[in-house]
Amino acid sequence: MKIITWYGILTIGDDGVTECEPFNKDVDELAELLLQKDVVAYFPGSGFDIRTVAIECGFVENDEEYNSLLRDVSIRAAKLQISRTNTPDMQIIQAVEALDDIDDVVNVLSERLSEWYGLHFPELGLSSESLVRFVSEFGSRNNVPAEHPMFEKATSSMGSELPSADEELIKGFASNACDLYDSRHNIEASIVRNMEKMAPNVTLITGSLIGARLISMTGGLARLSQLPSSTVQVMGANRALFKHLRGRAPSPKHGIIFNNPLVKNSPWWQRGKIARALAAKISLAARMDVYSGELHPEIKVNLEKKVNSIKAANPKPPIKQKPAGKGYKGKNKGGER
Amino acid sequence: MDVNEISEGIFEVRKGGKKILATKNANPGSNVYGENLLEEEGEEYRAWDARRSKLAAMVLKKMKVPIKSDSRVLYLGAASGTTVSHVSDMLPNGIVYAVEFSPRTMRELIQLCDTRSNIVPILADASRPKLYAHIVEQVDVIFQDVAQPNQAQIAAVNAEQFLKEDGHLLLSIKARSIDTVANPSKVFKEEVNKLEKDFDTQFNIIKKHDLAPFHEDHLGLVAKKKLKEN
Ligand SMILES: C[S@@+](CC[C@H](N)C(=O)[O-])C[C@H]1O[C@@H](n2cnc3c(N)ncnc32)[C@H](O)[C@@H]1O
Repeated sequence: MKIITWYGILTIGDDGVTECEPFNKDVDELAELLLQKDVVAYFPGSGFDIRTVAIECGFVENDEEYNSLLRDVSIRAAKLQISRTNTPDMQIIQAVEALDDIDDVVNVLSERLSEWYGLHFPELGLSSESLVRFVSEFGSRNNVPAEHPMFEKATSSMGSELPSADEELIKGFASNACDLYDSRHNIEASIVRNMEKMAPNVTLITGSLIGARLISMTGGLARLSQLPSSTVQVMGANRALFKHLRGRAPSPKHGIIFNNPLVKNSPWWQRGKIARALAAKISLAARMDVYSGELHPEIKVNLEKKVNSIKAANPKPPIKQKPAGKGYKGKNKGGER
Repeated sequence: MDVNEISEGIFEVRKGGKKILATKNANPGSNVYGENLLEEEGEEYRAWDARRSKLAAMVLKKMKVPIKSDSRVLYLGAASGTTVSHVSDMLPNGIVYAVEFSPRTMRELIQLCDTRSNIVPILADASRPKLYAHIVEQVDVIFQDVAQPNQAQIAAVNAEQFLKEDGHLLLSIKARSIDTVANPSKVFKEEVNKLEKDFDTQFNIIKKHDLAPFHEDHLGLVAKKKLKEN
């Protein structure tokens, strides 16, 4: 019987070790070998002491050398393993999380700015990014140039004057928020690039951002590819639920794939069926991305065919509605605001 | 300030009327997780806080820690190495195999390993000892702190593969990682039962003690393998 140890291959006969084939005594080589997947099939039986044999067969001189070599090799191997878990999908996961973090922060900042700047220019009527960009560009409303669409409002504003010390503060605040928006755009662009490289089929079927979110929620492309499509269909629903509970989002009815235009832009009674078809194709696409990585444009064509046949088969809303059905319709409309 | 060795490699340092649990710093001049460094007669000790370490709590509960200066220790659930660093201090001539399955946490553990000569990091799932049976030798002590529902089974399969016949298993059982609602003492009883009977490798429990107030709803255990008759 042969067994594998970190330092070599041993042949075991009836009375113990009959042969020892040590590996090269090179830390890098040993670290690579340590990570071999099929060690499990050749593991030493329980109670077998691999240290004694290493010394007996002359791989190392003594206990001290055994300890220090094994230490060096295992540290090297663990570092390799860690760097290999930094796969492109880990980048994507971090990027998606970063988007959400930025969104939380810029919401808070732009709401604050809206209150603050509202003292000075209440008629402006901008919010979020456009507000932030406006304030960081002009500061006081007196700086809005005549050709700017807001010029009229700015000259007739009922807001209080903005002392220049305050103007500096508020402009600085706005420009910090601008930087965050810039960063958000850059991250989004990198997600799009990475998704096209790493998951071209998922990207083709549902777009890079929804695809990236699915990967982020499952913890990786490989895991996404193993999920049943019924799960893919509802993924993200509970996350939306928490946002909803915090007052940040409308009531969640469906998973994140409901943001796909094929679903979102269809009449309510077709959405469930279309989402199911879409989820099935996403699962298929994820498997293709994991196994071959090549683009298969026909899956998109097939999806569109399927969607068209769903639409053709369900042209009208169901006539008889149970009360539950009505509620579903009403809430769903609210949910799509 | 004076120093008293209460178990091999484990010290009680008296300082200003207080007794501080500590180990002798194997990497003098630096601490690992913000713990205090204590100087005494040219030796440097690292304070060991029982609230941050189940093993330290077991020491304060007067449970005998069977680790010697040349022991070989398998540590399951190493996390970022808070306790592993103290075990490393106790082993000037020994070695500790530190198993942890979270890559994120392993990243921090490796930084500790880089500063120590006797820690072997292993990124693997402790419930699958065959994955590291080509690395780990026969050991004197298994210490396990994984906080998982299947912790009794993890202890059994690892003891089967790696624990010397006269070796010791030290185990910290967290009631809530097994059953979030049940009464802890009931959970402990069931876990002890599992260790004594459920698996191929069975244990004799030598000592057990709850770890409160350092760790609520945790039980510390010292056990030995029942010898199989054949
Ligand atoms: C309570 S913490 C350990 C704290 C550590 N003993 C200390 O005192 O510094 C539990 C650790 O076990 C790890 N863990 C849980 N299940 C595991 C398994 N099956 N294999 C390896 N590590 C595991 C967790 O990732 C976590 O880092």
